[in-house]
Amino acid sequence: MVTAKNLTKKFGSILALQDLTLEIPTGEFVFLTGPSGSGKTTLLRLIYRDLKPDSGTIQVDNQEVSKLPGSKLPSLRRTIGVVFQDFKLLSDRNVWENVSLPLEVRGIPPAKIRSAAKVALELVGLTPRSSMFPSQLSGGELQRVALARAIVGRPRLLLADEPTGNLDPKTGKNIVKLLKDIHSELKTTVIMATHNADIVNSFSQRVISLDEGRISKDSPKGKYD
Amino acid sequence: MIKHLNLAWQRIRRSPYQAISAISIMTMSLFLAGFFVILAMGSNLVLKYFETRPQINGFFQIDLTPSSDQVNLITSHLTNTGLVESVRYISKEDALKIYKDLNQNDPLLTEAVTANLLPASVEISAKNPRDLKQLADILKKEPGIEDVRFAEDVVGTLNRWISSIRTTGAVLVGIHIFITFTVILLVVGIKVSGRRDEISLLQLVGATPAYISAPFIFEGIIYGVLGAVLAWGISYLVILYSTGFWAGFLSGIVTLPPSPTSMISLLGGLVGLGTLVGGFGGAMAVYRFLKG
Repeated sequence: MVTAKNLTKKFGSILALQDLTLEIPTGEFVFLTGPSGSGKTTLLRLIYRDLKPDSGTIQVDNQEVSKLPGSKLPSLRRTIGVVFQDFKLLSDRNVWENVSLPLEVRGIPPAKIRSAAKVALELVGLTPRSSMFPSQLSGGELQRVALARAIVGRPRLLLADEPTGNLDPKTGKNIVKLLKDIHSELKTTVIMATHNADIVNSFSQRVISLDEGRISKDSPKGKYD
Repeated sequence: MIKHLNLAWQRIRRSPYQAISAISIMTMSLFLAGFFVILAMGSNLVLKYFETRPQINGFFQIDLTPSSDQVNLITSHLTNTGLVESVRYISKEDALKIYKDLNQNDPLLTEAVTANLLPASVEISAKNPRDLKQLADILKKEPGIEDVRFAEDVVGTLNRWISSIRTTGAVLVGIHIFITFTVILLVVGIKVSGRRDEISLLQLVGATPAYISAPFIFEGIIYGVLGAVLAWGISYLVILYSTGFWAGFLSGIVTLPPSPTSMISLLGGLVGLGTLVGGFGGAMAVYRFLKG
């Protein structure tokens, strides 16, 4: 699903990723761990082509994303769902409208949007909150809305960048459980960046640890180091 | 499309002061454009009027009724120069008829006048207004001709004036349209900048540049259309209000007020120009951001 070879990314003189090589097969659930500044977010941004590498290649679904022309970016991003620590919801749209957004931009007929958004909201347990605005929701609910938005278009790959960073431990665990459920039910490949040891240790999954832009450890059923 | 249009309208309503400044400058520029279009059209009609008028009148002695041979001789002298477009003989009877037509509303002026009181004449149109003096000199030497009158290159002068009006108008309107374009760019640019996060999110969920740009382009178009309608309305009011003033000395030359068809064409032109300037300004504002 995701293949990176000798990936290097610099920000000025700072090396965010150094000669990183990894492979994540389709349908896998992977924790990307490491301290702040270890390159987790940079790797995710390279996957959804928010950044271009300085050298090396990165493929998503056998497609070299770093060489994709700008006109092909929308179609790449329609196959990837992204969840952020700060939710990135539109404050002037209600839950339903936020969740519908990825389908709306694709020009999908309203009837199909309605049924897909309904399913996504049911999956995250937010159907009763569908007409509420982000300012009326708790942190956990906001993250669930973001999750529903990320999965509404049935992406093949789901990227979660510190999705529990702004949440209390219990809510954080619920969000990861939800990610696990989505992974199992929809067979979506999930890459979740986190530095929450508790969460990583609670779920026995593949753990790729980054340190100063390099892979320091890659364990199939790992723990947080 | 309706969705993008609604969104654009919603954004305009949420920032009324920016909208007022954008629509005001658009109205001013389009009013100026409309004013110069009307002026150019009006002066063209005046020019056509003068072009179709005889340029030289040669009057025979008042007590002379010229024979057809005499008239033919004068005509051939003039046409042989190769400078004449047409020569028309006006007999005393024709002159009386013209006089009566011109003064039909004033019986006192027509009752006492007979054909014998009016001179016969020849009306000459030159191919080129520059040759009027030469033709007038030839005509003055013809036997029986008592008086020659000609308009000193009225058409040429008028042409130069109209050309100046057009150039001045085009430059002024061009400058104003450019200023309007930059204001639209600025106003829509502020909106784009304020929605930076939303645009980033739309890009992230796979929105195409066209989808992201559409509401901003529509916003510019709405400014253009509203500005055009206002400018047209003001122009129409000004024309209607000043019709009495102009009608006095443009009678018979220009029909006032202009026909509804002309005014609808003007509205179409202004809306087209406003749409182009507004839409292009909106597109440029969002394109600069997306490119960045």
